[in-house]
Amino acid sequence: MASNLDVFGWFDNDYDEDGFRTCSVTGFDVHQSVENHVKLYGVTAVVFMLIGGIFALTVATTRWEYIGLLEAGDYYRHLSMHAWSLLIFWIIFMEIAILYVGGPMVLGRKLPIEWAAKLGYVVMVAGAIIIYYTIWTVTGNPVEDNAPLLTAYIPLEINPLFYVGAIVFVLGVTVAALPFFLALWYEKRENPGQTLPLVTFGAFVAGIIAVQSILGGLVAFSGGLAYQLGLAPWFDAGMYRQWFWIIGHGTQQINLVAMITVWYLFTHVIGGAEVVSEKVSRTAFILYLFFIVMGAAHHLMVDPGLSAGWRIWNTSYAFYGATFASLVHAFTIPAGLEAGRRKRGKGGGLFGWLTSAPWKNPMFSTSIFAIILFGFLGGITGVMMGQLQLNMSWHNTFATVGHFHSTVVLGTTVTFMGVVYFVIKTMFQREFVSPKLASFQPYLYCSAMAITALMMMYVGILYGIPRRTSEVVRNIPGTDFSIIGAAPLFHVFGIFALIAIAGGALFVLLAVGSLLFGKRIEPGEDDSLVPDGGLEMATDPEDPVHAYEMRGTFILCLIFLGVFVVAYVLNWFLLTQLWSIGV
Amino acid sequence: MTSPIKPPKGNWWDQPVNRRESIWLGLGVGWALVLFGWMSAFTRIGDQNPIGETYRVTEDELREKVQAFEEAAEQRDDGAYVPAGDDVYVVGYQFDWDGLPVVLETGQEYDFHLGSYDVQHGFSIRPEHAYSQQINLHVTPGKEWIIPMEFDEPGTYHVLCNEFCGEGHRGMHNTIIVEEGDDGE
Repeated sequence: MASNLDVFGWFDNDYDEDGFRTCSVTGFDVHQSVENHVKLYGVTAVVFMLIGGIFALTVATTRWEYIGLLEAGDYYRHLSMHAWSLLIFWIIFMEIAILYVGGPMVLGRKLPIEWAAKLGYVVMVAGAIIIYYTIWTVTGNPVEDNAPLLTAYIPLEINPLFYVGAIVFVLGVTVAALPFFLALWYEKRENPGQTLPLVTFGAFVAGIIAVQSILGGLVAFSGGLAYQLGLAPWFDAGMYRQWFWIIGHGTQQINLVAMITVWYLFTHVIGGAEVVSEKVSRTAFILYLFFIVMGAAHHLMVDPGLSAGWRIWNTSYAFYGATFASLVHAFTIPAGLEAGRRKRGKGGGLFGWLTSAPWKNPMFSTSIFAIILFGFLGGITGVMMGQLQLNMSWHNTFATVGHFHSTVVLGTTVTFMGVVYFVIKTMFQREFVSPKLASFQPYLYCSAMAITALMMMYVGILYGIPRRTSEVVRNIPGTDFSIIGAAPLFHVFGIFALIAIAGGALFVLLAVGSLLFGKRIEPGEDDSLVPDGGLEMATDPEDPVHAYEMRGTFILCLIFLGVFVVAYVLNWFLLTQLWSIGV
Repeated sequence: MTSPIKPPKGNWWDQPVNRRESIWLGLGVGWALVLFGWMSAFTRIGDQNPIGETYRVTEDELREKVQAFEEAAEQRDDGAYVPAGDDVYVVGYQFDWDGLPVVLETGQEYDFHLGSYDVQHGFSIRPEHAYSQQINLHVTPGKEWIIPMEFDEPGTYHVLCNEFCGEGHRGMHNTIIVEEGDDGE
């Protein structure tokens, strides 16, 4: 598909006459229709990361009131830009790319209905532009035109065009996802009775959760639009919140499942991991399918008008069905790595499989850091704040922001950075402009971001610092009161946020730099990614992986559970120090 | 057979599961039940639950109720209301809390009527002497949420809004003054 427009040579890999090539790393039969669209969505995602990252800088230096960069009105516009760019655009463009990898690429198929991939792309970009326009033109008059932030809660007066943009974007995502579902349909029709590979299965579950989310989003945004136009005065704040969070939280569950799918893929392809039990891993995915959308209810824990029973049932994902699923993956992914590496002779002692792992490979380190940080910081806090009573100390505090920076940034974004590195290496077939910096970047970014997120949680829980405000620590307009006690922790927050943003900038520089100036990798030249023994070892029926030791993983998981229990007890201790509240 | 990128062959469902994996699954189920059980039990045995009756209410009805509350209350020199009974109204609007400041006593249970005249707000409260003792409840227009509260320590409790409600959101602050009650120790 070498086109005159392809001035950077981004779309000119060598394919056979049927349009396929064999990937030297994964062994996938890659069709150009799949690969080119993965590249398109991936590169676009990086552009949105750049935009969102610029606003991360202005938002963080405003919340660090020592600098206090922006005025309130500007702050809310910048915050809206930051949220939509990173939480929605960067992540969802990446997710479409991941669906194409997990579906047609893993299965060695063409991308069906290519036009839908292109149309979906155009519609998504159009939706993004409408949203950007409506955010950037906000006047800030409280009874006319407020910044939407992420949530655009009615009845706050928000430009109706914003909801149109959101609907357009969501419809674009739907169209873009069609080729993925169709590829699976064809695959099952041609191979009846054959099980899908685990990665494809995970991507499929992510796809179904996406459908659930999109349906909720269409109701929320259409209702919001109708309300703002005066057509549906009965569509009230409570209804909007419930429908909105089906997409608002649902999209985060897509992130979760997509990210876990990538973890299975990368630990295998780069680290030599294997699936220790197809039954257990797939059952965990199925649990997500049934229970995870209920988790959206934890945004409504301290809302009026919902019965305690409804809240407890839903926020516990029906007895923590989805939390259990995450606990399962928390074991099976590292266990797969441990057993797979032991099988390859790379795992002496308790943790030899970890210490010998390819830590300098940013595709590997991003996934491992994401597993650890998502679990310890994001997962544990998510369960905390999802408890009916504990939610009173978390709701809408800066701690919430710390929680979702642990899940969406330290988990999803870090994982997806690894995906971008992977796409650069194996699909664009470019060397990194600086392999050393590429190895270093995940360490810089993850460590700084982890401390930033921790500080957010501390100031939120220990000082009750609210989220979504430009001033509260050093000054609250109209009163002498302020929460100045939190100022020292905000210095730590601010400094590490800046370091994290530098780490993010380094990522964008490396990605764009490698695409523009990276040395081209000729086919067959780069097999450095493949784990010792090759991937074929995983398919040897005489050497089942479940028979290998998993004691290192078991110890790590016990440590995790221990931290979980301690954090849980501490949170409850803090809550019970309060005055008596509620019936 | 155990590659995540190849279709698993044969009867993969009946492949044995590693013993440590099985133990972990048991621990996971147990922990999930503890999480659920404690949360559920605490609604019966605990003193801090975001639970109370909710009533539909129009803006006008709510304004009348708050006005009646303020008229019945004694107003001190500093402008703070001393409620006549056990009912306390705290209603958010762009950009302050109606019904505040209010003077309450320790050891007495008050019914807090939380609501909003206009958009969504966040009722976020902490005493000046211990910031970590803070709670947050969401308020939406059209609903009157009645949450009982009984303070056991005197002090100035600061109420902030923690849901974005417009550009003046950051200045949405008021106070609840809790004084030692007659029967307080």
